[in-house]
Amino acid sequence: MKRLSRRTLLRGASGLGLSLPFLQSLGPRAARAQDASAPRRILFCFQANGDQPSARFAAAGETSFELGEFLAPLEPYREDLLFLNNLDRRFYELPEGERSDNHQQGGSSLAPWPSGEGSFPIGGEDDRTIGYVEGPSADYAIGERVVAANPGVAYRHLVYRVGDRNNDIWNLHGHAGPAGEQNPVPPETDPYAAYTRIFDFGEGGADAEALLRKRLAKRQSALDLVNVELAALESRVSADDRRKIQQHADALRDIERTLSDVPVGNLGCAAFELGEEVDPYRQDDHVVVGELFFKISTLAFACDLSRSINFNWSGNTSNRVYRNLGLDVGHHDISHMSEDTAFADIRKVHHHLWTQNTKLYELLKATPDGEGTLWDHTLVVHWNELGQGDSHSIDDALVVLAGGAHGYFRRGRLVDYDNETSFSDMLVTCFHYMGFDDVEGFGDARLRLKGSLADVTA
Amino acid sequence: MQVLQAMLRGFGGLAPGAALALSVACSGSVEMAYEDPAEGTPSAGRGQSAAGDAGSGASGQVAGAGGTTAAACAAPNPGSAPLRRLSNAEYRNTVRDLFADVTDIASLVSEATSEFPAESESLGFRNSAQFLTVQTLVAEKYMAAAERLAEAAALSPEVVSCTPEAGDEMTCARSFIRDFGQRAYRRPLSDEEATRYEAQFQQALAEYDFATGVEWTIFSVLQSPAFLYRVERGRPSDGATTRPTPYETATRLSYLFWQSQPDAALLAAAAAGELDTPAGIEEHAREMLGDPRAERLVQYFDEWLDLDRLEDFSRDPEVFPDLPADLPVLYRDESKHFVLSLLKRPDGRLNELFTAPYTYANATLAEFYGLDGPSGSSFARVDDPRRSGILTQAMLVAQDKPYRTSIVRRGLKVRTGLLCQTVPAPPNDVELELGEITAGLSQRDRLAQHRENPTCRGCHELLDPLGIVFEGFDAVGRYRTRDEADEPIDTSSEISQTRDANGAVAGVRELGVLLGQSSEVRDCYVTQSFRFFFGREEEPADACSLSALKARFASEDLSLSELLVAFTQTDAFLYRPTLEVSP
Repeated sequence: MKRLSRRTLLRGASGLGLSLPFLQSLGPRAARAQDASAPRRILFCFQANGDQPSARFAAAGETSFELGEFLAPLEPYREDLLFLNNLDRRFYELPEGERSDNHQQGGSSLAPWPSGEGSFPIGGEDDRTIGYVEGPSADYAIGERVVAANPGVAYRHLVYRVGDRNNDIWNLHGHAGPAGEQNPVPPETDPYAAYTRIFDFGEGGADAEALLRKRLAKRQSALDLVNVELAALESRVSADDRRKIQQHADALRDIERTLSDVPVGNLGCAAFELGEEVDPYRQDDHVVVGELFFKISTLAFACDLSRSINFNWSGNTSNRVYRNLGLDVGHHDISHMSEDTAFADIRKVHHHLWTQNTKLYELLKATPDGEGTLWDHTLVVHWNELGQGDSHSIDDALVVLAGGAHGYFRRGRLVDYDNETSFSDMLVTCFHYMGFDDVEGFGDARLRLKGSLADVTA
Repeated sequence: MQVLQAMLRGFGGLAPGAALALSVACSGSVEMAYEDPAEGTPSAGRGQSAAGDAGSGASGQVAGAGGTTAAACAAPNPGSAPLRRLSNAEYRNTVRDLFADVTDIASLVSEATSEFPAESESLGFRNSAQFLTVQTLVAEKYMAAAERLAEAAALSPEVVSCTPEAGDEMTCARSFIRDFGQRAYRRPLSDEEATRYEAQFQQALAEYDFATGVEWTIFSVLQSPAFLYRVERGRPSDGATTRPTPYETATRLSYLFWQSQPDAALLAAAAAGELDTPAGIEEHAREMLGDPRAERLVQYFDEWLDLDRLEDFSRDPEVFPDLPADLPVLYRDESKHFVLSLLKRPDGRLNELFTAPYTYANATLAEFYGLDGPSGSSFARVDDPRRSGILTQAMLVAQDKPYRTSIVRRGLKVRTGLLCQTVPAPPNDVELELGEITAGLSQRDRLAQHRENPTCRGCHELLDPLGIVFEGFDAVGRYRTRDEADEPIDTSSEISQTRDANGAVAGVRELGVLLGQSSEVRDCYVTQSFRFFFGREEEPADACSLSALKARFASEDLSLSELLVAFTQTDAFLYRPTLEVSP
């Protein structure tokens, strides 16, 4: 029992009548890397405010490249990494009224759609205000396909952000869409709450089982009743409101999935210590909070609760003060300055964040999965809302693909796309890795260039 | 600079055509009967909502706005009335009221709802109907909160007023379902709805016991769309416009004034027809303002003035050592006491919001500000001739950086939040080398360099002169005479590009006077209130509602609380679009 999450437990309880012997029979199997049958997972990992494109690499060359100062923490992992340099976000292809400023629009790179209006009184021509993007982000759209194809996976996607808890057009990077709709997805920002939401490695026993059964009966009964009410209401509201009601009904279906599906056991699906609790919103503790979210993400993958995660070190335009690095000015403020000293600080921030990112790699490597580890069966996609901060450039995006990812990619390489391939093309390749080969484009057609990444797959 | 001219129209959030539409539709005075499209019988009262010179409000500033069409406002024009999910604040207030008898309800509610994700902000508010949806995470948090609340409430003897008799438990169950259902749904349950809850209760009773039935009912009700949304069907109507039902009107009233559900008395008044006329609504509105629950109106100010963002307040301990631990709470309490004192006074007017030479503090905050204040933890009025209402309260701190004031963002707040203007997005490709703040170069000086750059000038001329006047208050809200670079503070400035608040000012007190007298600020206050209380951005169809409000606010010199009463007399409040019932 100790290895099973509450969700797994609940799902077992309701779907199988709590078949304990079945659940306990799941044990370790012989290890073999890159088990083709292991689930494919994707984790998007965001860090803010652009970096310094000219300092990313000390030397070019597809395999002979040398990492620059702030990417140096990645050197031990380079054989499992694929550096995609100078991808073009292309949102200048959208007319003035359909895009907002580069932080917000770049921060919506996972959701390459035009922006709507009406949420922040800064705008372009003609009194327009900035709104959220009007369409889903890749983590959502991929997760949607995952749960449709795998009813045993509980969560479409998980969205995490380190730092502030308020939500606005600057810090929301997940979107539910559909195309044409502003529908941002507020992230989870408290790792302790995020952990207990999806896991509970409590003890079993007859009493616990009885309580569990009662709770399940209550929940199922309420969901049934509310579903009937939603269906009745749906026919009695305006067309715009109907979408809200349908979304609500979808959400309840998501919850029902966590109540009723057959569990999947996995060796790596085991509790971990959360450690001494910190204030999730204290800037100085961002490292602790980020690592907790990395652990939760790893465990969610191991327990197969979700296969798509949108993790963010901050919102875009983050003004976190990295006092741990000896800085006393906010990250965004520094990124606006063009002095050499400012760029030195920016390199310092990104060196720090890339160092933290390797903790995720180590967690994935340490977690058994099928006949290998999670690292073998996961694609980590690192991204940023901008190329360079002071110029707010959009045609020089760096994306780093990390992880064994079923050997899908030819790794250990630096590919310079020279703005001939777009960020949304890259997202299409993410769909392909996840097994959705039929996807030919994602987002607004004006933001596409080549359709997908050429010459990256093995 | 077409952008700037556009901004001067003062209709920040509207599409270009909308401002014009507003002005054309709203220049005439409005005098007509309150028409009930459902019943076809005009009733008294509408006329009083548009007394005075309606033309002096919204319309004057738009160049080229010709043609007055009083006729445009002759028929009720309520704009849209989207389905509104309860905001987190409304949810908390509602369950506090719903379970008022349950022991320790306040702390139970804050615990049970502490993990609700923050709403996606829109135009500075968290209650935009467009973004208040029930996504998966929200649905799960609602379920978890309902679980905790139902468990506690089912154990509370006050929740079920009857005693179940062995063998005939369902008689009491039925009465409980009708009674609790009506309070939570804010209207009587339909027979169909009641039957569903009875069936559920019976299941719980058969498998467990009566208390479980009570718990399941409460648990389900708290996840019902009838509870989580303010569902409106409106009265039957053949026209495009109708009126909300009496119970829906009660709900509109209670969420406006109390940010919460109607109580039993208000539902009874609705049932008795007391909310069928604008005069009846107005009477109840005034009564509701006197209720302690009206203090929850502070939510509007909290969001409008960005005090809600103080949740994420953080300051560099090296720059600001030894801050009181609960400073963000003290800031919010300061403004809360201040705005509530204005709302409670019959002469509490907008002008004073920007000019009051006093604030509210308790001992800790007064000491922190360096003021002679009250002793103890209660807040009391503290006079200070350097202060200027909300302009010197934590609205400023909410714009600042962890280590210094932000002249730019403070100016932006005035420009967008108080004047309702839209400013252009900053250019993307500017080389910025402003240098660090050092001795001999104040932030003011650095920004002056900024404005020498032609790319920056257009926008920063809108922001910096407004922001500079606040430099006498540091990034934690304390009065100061020297800035971060230890340079003497100079708060003199020249305000420009406003409709009627331009001019030279020596500092924040004089800016307060300009803003307090400005029709642009006054109209903006109406617009911001409209967005919050109706949960949406204004639309062209709101021209009549808005012009009536702006006109009355100006010509009758309404107090802040009377303006709220006036909101209940607008088309947007009294009417709604008729729903097209799908087959």
